[in-house]
Amino acid sequence: MAKRVLLAEDEPNIVESLTFLLDRAGYEVSVETDGRKALNAALSDAPDVLILDVMLPELDGYEILRLLRSDSRATNLPIVMLTAKGQREDRETALDYGADMFITKPFANSEIVAAVERFADGRVN
Amino acid sequence: MEKKDILQSQSSIIGTRIRQRRREVGYTQADLAKKIDISPSYLNLIEWNKRRIAGSLLHKIASALSLSSEDLDGASEKRLLETLSEIAHLPSLGALGVESERTSELIGRFPGWARGLATLARSEREATMRAQTLSDRLSNDPFLSETVHRMLTRIAAIRSAAEILVEYPDVETEQRERFNSLIHQDSRALSDVAEALASYLDKAEESERVHTPLDEVETLFVARENRFEEIDGPAAELARLLIDSRPISRRERARELTEKQLSEPIELMIERQPQIITAVAKTRARRALVDYAIAAILMPITEFAHRAAELRYDIEALSEAFSVEIEAVCHRLTALRSSDGAPRFGYLRANAAGTIIEMLGLEGLAIPRYAAACPLWVLYRAQQSPETVMRQRVLFPSGARFVFIARARHQGATGFGKPRHYVTDMLAMKEDDARYTVYAPDPSAIVEEVGPSCRLCPRRACLHRVEDPLSE
Repeated sequence: MAKRVLLAEDEPNIVESLTFLLDRAGYEVSVETDGRKALNAALSDAPDVLILDVMLPELDGYEILRLLRSDSRATNLPIVMLTAKGQREDRETALDYGADMFITKPFANSEIVAAVERFADGRVN
Repeated sequence: MEKKDILQSQSSIIGTRIRQRRREVGYTQADLAKKIDISPSYLNLIEWNKRRIAGSLLHKIASALSLSSEDLDGASEKRLLETLSEIAHLPSLGALGVESERTSELIGRFPGWARGLATLARSEREATMRAQTLSDRLSNDPFLSETVHRMLTRIAAIRSAAEILVEYPDVETEQRERFNSLIHQDSRALSDVAEALASYLDKAEESERVHTPLDEVETLFVARENRFEEIDGPAAELARLLIDSRPISRRERARELTEKQLSEPIELMIERQPQIITAVAKTRARRALVDYAIAAILMPITEFAHRAAELRYDIEALSEAFSVEIEAVCHRLTALRSSDGAPRFGYLRANAAGTIIEMLGLEGLAIPRYAAACPLWVLYRAQQSPETVMRQRVLFPSGARFVFIARARHQGATGFGKPRHYVTDMLAMKEDDARYTVYAPDPSAIVEEVGPSCRLCPRRACLHRVEDPLSE
């Protein structure tokens, strides 16, 4: 059975590309474009990996991260943060809040696929 | 090393310049001493800056050397000395062993190099200020932050779709066209965002440039000691036309007269000033000279000098007497000279953040340009008691004594429930000169020990120190 990736991203063109990529890599991808819905989906659907954009409407990525890490259902959920903010403090904030990885835009497709493979399949590059 | 007092150094330019000029024209000390009817040993003391000179002796020496008094005792050199003295104590030069005690000699012997150093330091300061502004903007400006985010998002979308097209040659035609279309959409959106960003940065650059030519305008006012005879003359004539000028206010009428009658001479003056270089500086100089002209019409110099002496330079009484704002009186007082029989005044204006936003300097009063002034100055305290004239008797580490008069006033429109934003006007005068004014301190009045700024102040024990002194 295919591993499931939840993609929380509000930029439709990025969603389209990442969905194509992850689908080609053999993952089942679900998408949420709103922060609150993404939080609910992460808690109720128990995906294998969450790709979480920082700038989301309703609830931003850091808040989602904080709430997930304080909920026993998502304590071990691998979370890859995705953001256009690449400053050191953003990275530190994300890692302090419990993100497993921090990828900045613009990214290479291979970075995303490698991150998902690493956390979903336990492969370490 | 104890730092030399700027006041003393200012006068020491003159001796060095006399010595240099005498040698240029081929006189011995004895030749020149004979011409000006003083002893060679006295001339020697003057040339080595051991004796101060001014007035008729300065004039005689200047004439004997075919120079004007201004050439020997130039206001611009005084400002140059202040600037270089401050530069010499900048932290970045601390380890270089800059011979700050020989600054006046540098100006006297190598004026071009001295001006060059000051210009470079000014450029460096402007560049640093701009870099700080840009850095703050990059970190905190919501527009920039949002725009950069949008750009990176668009670039990420383009890059991802383009990589798919390159790395997955088996993508079906329909999907390939879809990704091509995404790239097209995102590149157009990126272009719009980039254009908006470029336009924003252009505007930002223009608005920052407004701050940089202040020095150019200030140089003009310092060089002229805040006095423009070519405006004062015609302005005094125009002042007669103010009578029966109701219903419009005197100030409005004075502005109208300035625009009609004095615009041309003001333009001519600006064009002839070597200090005014940039277009923005010209605009600022025009504004400053128009304000000067309005004041000159409202307070004709001769009448003003007379009334000011009569009212013992009381800024509130003068404000009443001429029906002008107190700040206009403060400005006008700086135009008075000893030839008017008046004390010399300096003027400073600071905002609530403590930034000095205008200054018309006074000889001997070191006003820092590269750091905040001493927080103990009444300039800053006056905002605790707005609309009240406060006096402060101060002693600088050099031994120089001044009397400061400060008054905070709110600036801009206000109303019930609306905030009031205060600025402070401050007049400075030497304590010796204060005796001609209503502000003459009682001999028993408290003398407050202040400094120019923390960096330039040796008072180590001061509780208000925020930076270490650079001189030991």
